[in-house]
Amino acid sequence: MLFTTDKQTLEDLNIFGKHGGDSIYNIFNRCATRGGAGVLEEMFRYPLSDSETINKRSGIIRSFATLGTSFPFKSTDFDAAAPYLANTDERSKLAVQENSVARKLTNMMAMDADTQLIYKGVESLVDLMKQAQAFMKELDKNECYTAEKEEMRAVLNDPAFAAIHESREKLSHAQIAEFDVVLRFRHRTQVEKLLGLIFYLDVYLSVARVANERKFVFPKALPAGQQDLLKLEGVYHPQVKNAVPNSIHVTTDSNIIFLTGANMAGKSTFMKSLSIAMFLAHVGFPVAAAKMEFTVLDGVYTTINLPDNLGMGASHFYAEVLRVKKMAHELSTKKDLFIVFDELFRGTNVKDAYEATIAITTAFAKKRKSIFVISTHIIEAGDVLKEKCANVNFVYLPTRMNGNHPEYTYTLEQGITSDRHGMVIVNNEGILEILRNGKKKLQKTTVV
Amino acid sequence: MSFITDKQTLDDLNITGKFSPHSLFSLFNATQTRGGEKLLDRMFHQPLSDPAAINSRSDVFKYFHERNLSFPFSAAVFQEAEAYLGGSTGSSFLMVAGDLLRKKALHLTIKDEQYGQFQSGLLAAIDLLNTLQDFLRKVDGPATTQFETVKKALNAHRTKWLDGTQAGQPLTLFQLARYDHFIRHVLREETESILDFIYHLDVYIAVSNVARARNFSYAQALPKEKNIFRSTAVSHPALEKAVANPLVLQEEQNVLFLTGANMAGKSTFMKSLGIAFYMAHMGFPVSAKDMQFSVRDGLYTSINVPDNLNLGYSHFYAEVLRVKKVAEEVAEGNDLVVIFDELFKGTNVKDAYDATLAVTKEFSTYRNSFFVISTHIIEVGDTLRETCDNLQFSYLPTIMENNVPRYPYTLTAGITSDRHGMVIIENEKILEMMEE
Repeated sequence: MLFTTDKQTLEDLNIFGKHGGDSIYNIFNRCATRGGAGVLEEMFRYPLSDSETINKRSGIIRSFATLGTSFPFKSTDFDAAAPYLANTDERSKLAVQENSVARKLTNMMAMDADTQLIYKGVESLVDLMKQAQAFMKELDKNECYTAEKEEMRAVLNDPAFAAIHESREKLSHAQIAEFDVVLRFRHRTQVEKLLGLIFYLDVYLSVARVANERKFVFPKALPAGQQDLLKLEGVYHPQVKNAVPNSIHVTTDSNIIFLTGANMAGKSTFMKSLSIAMFLAHVGFPVAAAKMEFTVLDGVYTTINLPDNLGMGASHFYAEVLRVKKMAHELSTKKDLFIVFDELFRGTNVKDAYEATIAITTAFAKKRKSIFVISTHIIEAGDVLKEKCANVNFVYLPTRMNGNHPEYTYTLEQGITSDRHGMVIVNNEGILEILRNGKKKLQKTTVV
Repeated sequence: MSFITDKQTLDDLNITGKFSPHSLFSLFNATQTRGGEKLLDRMFHQPLSDPAAINSRSDVFKYFHERNLSFPFSAAVFQEAEAYLGGSTGSSFLMVAGDLLRKKALHLTIKDEQYGQFQSGLLAAIDLLNTLQDFLRKVDGPATTQFETVKKALNAHRTKWLDGTQAGQPLTLFQLARYDHFIRHVLREETESILDFIYHLDVYIAVSNVARARNFSYAQALPKEKNIFRSTAVSHPALEKAVANPLVLQEEQNVLFLTGANMAGKSTFMKSLGIAFYMAHMGFPVSAKDMQFSVRDGLYTSINVPDNLNLGYSHFYAEVLRVKKVAEEVAEGNDLVVIFDELFKGTNVKDAYDATLAVTKEFSTYRNSFFVISTHIIEVGDTLRETCDNLQFSYLPTIMENNVPRYPYTLTAGITSDRHGMVIIENEKILEMMEE
């Protein structure tokens, strides 16, 4: 089964970001090749949903990270190889016979563009294959990188390429013409397979480098059916400077995280950190945390910045209801999901929000294998849920009042906060005084 | 002093904006000329605050409303004449004639287009003046100084020759030069005021036609001191089949406390009221029958306050800042119309209760402004009923028919506890989905 997510989630978590923006994808994308960047994007688009594959991928990357292997190929070689391989026209083959003085002379003065493309393409591919052969020794050190390594070895050891490996540095025209036929036509699929393997390698090495530089850890995927759903220590937001780490432990008896806290206390940031870690863990990538173990789920859905669609006549509340409905539908198809709702039902009045939050959370609470994170400012709902459901984990982000000014620790604590500084803000802005003083002043002037 | 309002209010009520499809401006913008459109835009941006000025403008609209006229100029002729009148000419008759002779010569030798353009521009201008004269002979116009000035200018001795020239009749070079000198130099000021008058005429006719088609009425402006608003039927001007509601606000009852479920029409009613006030201050037709109002100093609404996360403001803080701004204006002693929809919804129930209560109480001590406040926290209403005597309580009802809510949109006295957020959730069958 595929791991599912949707556009709303990808945007909430800023996985791909807007054009050129700072995104999670950009953090990991240190790929030397364009093909590698493409593979990386594909991995992000299709996260994995089975623990074995996840552990295998993260094992490979982890070993590379420990070894500190670096990518040995020149990126210019790939740039030359791509247009060369794209040209599949048989008529563009180089003729061996034309090894005349006239040709040599013309080539010395000005080689035509097509021939130049083929020369460069062949030279780059030969270069790449030789480097790959030399790199095999380095790869042998990585114990997890086995299946793909053997495939690569099989391609390289193909007798058809023997002449290539034996060739000298400088290739003659005849050699180029000969290799052109082998690489571009006769054994094309083999060559493409090799390039594909190198692209994957590029991704592994680039992610490994990022993990080393940023001190990310590799999460461990647990087989399904365990009581522990998630053990996460020191998770933080990879894009926030000086982010404060938090730990959370989710079991089937505490799979609903009910998050409260004042505005600006860091609720959204915590939910994003958690969701990003879950997402990356399912890609098999390292995460911004100190330690992570998780049960593999079938999807991640977040609702953090839900836009209302007033153009379609749907209010914000209705947009939220539809979003909850979508989640409910997914859950009813026996999927285990990671679901995040920031400020559930903020689009309606406080009383409706109170009732709806209780009703929806109680319904969610029946799904013990999914993880839910629900934040709200309606703390009254928490008190009711405490009595109704046993598997709700109440946490909050505190606010410390320093005189009249709030300060935030960004550190999770157990319980429901009754931090209410709504009235404090109203008082700080002095609204009531403004009105009272204005009244007094006006009365005075009328008396005078 | 001019009428004060702000961008938030204009956005809430969707008043200005040529390119926003349902704005009041586009509703009334049936003008034929660019100048008319600009004038209309200016009127929209500068509501009046003097009862006499308001009433006299609305009288002009009323005059045209009763007569059902159409704009007498064709767009093509008008544009040509406008372009011609915008240009300048020589200061003496001889210079004009000489220049014209040069143009004619160029036209004959190298087929230069200037002469042709000049000729058709002048003819269009003459046509324009003739049409206007005919129009003003048929339509007397309301007795305002603006109409009198223009009529005088047209009837002046110097323009008598206009009667003699008829469209289509060829003019000699001498006549062309003489007329050009006359229109663009001697009568420069008069022609400019005539153009301006035509823009006004365009607006009067366009607006009154819209008003007639949509059955709008005209409000009567009263002096400030009366502190009253009265109408037997306020409705939203841009909605088809809008339900109209009567409303009276006065010094002893200047705070309207509005309750009702989502979608029961609270926001629409508040917008209708805000729009009626704004249009009335412009002297424009309103979608409110028998409306009488004391002129106010300004209008502030808070219906869709956006959060400004870029500035780090949460929704709640944005609302607080908005209330603060209005509080400052009220405290200065301005007579305002203040409309707050769902105050403090970005916070928890207790804070919302405390804040709504405290703020409404303080505002209600000001008897010289009108306040309309909507909320879901009906308990605030119960407390306010005991402490303040100048509140009127109204609600928009919901009628449940087999779990499907129906809304009559008629204002009823009292407080309602109608809510059906849960009904919507139940109708979507979300809870059942998860039962399986």
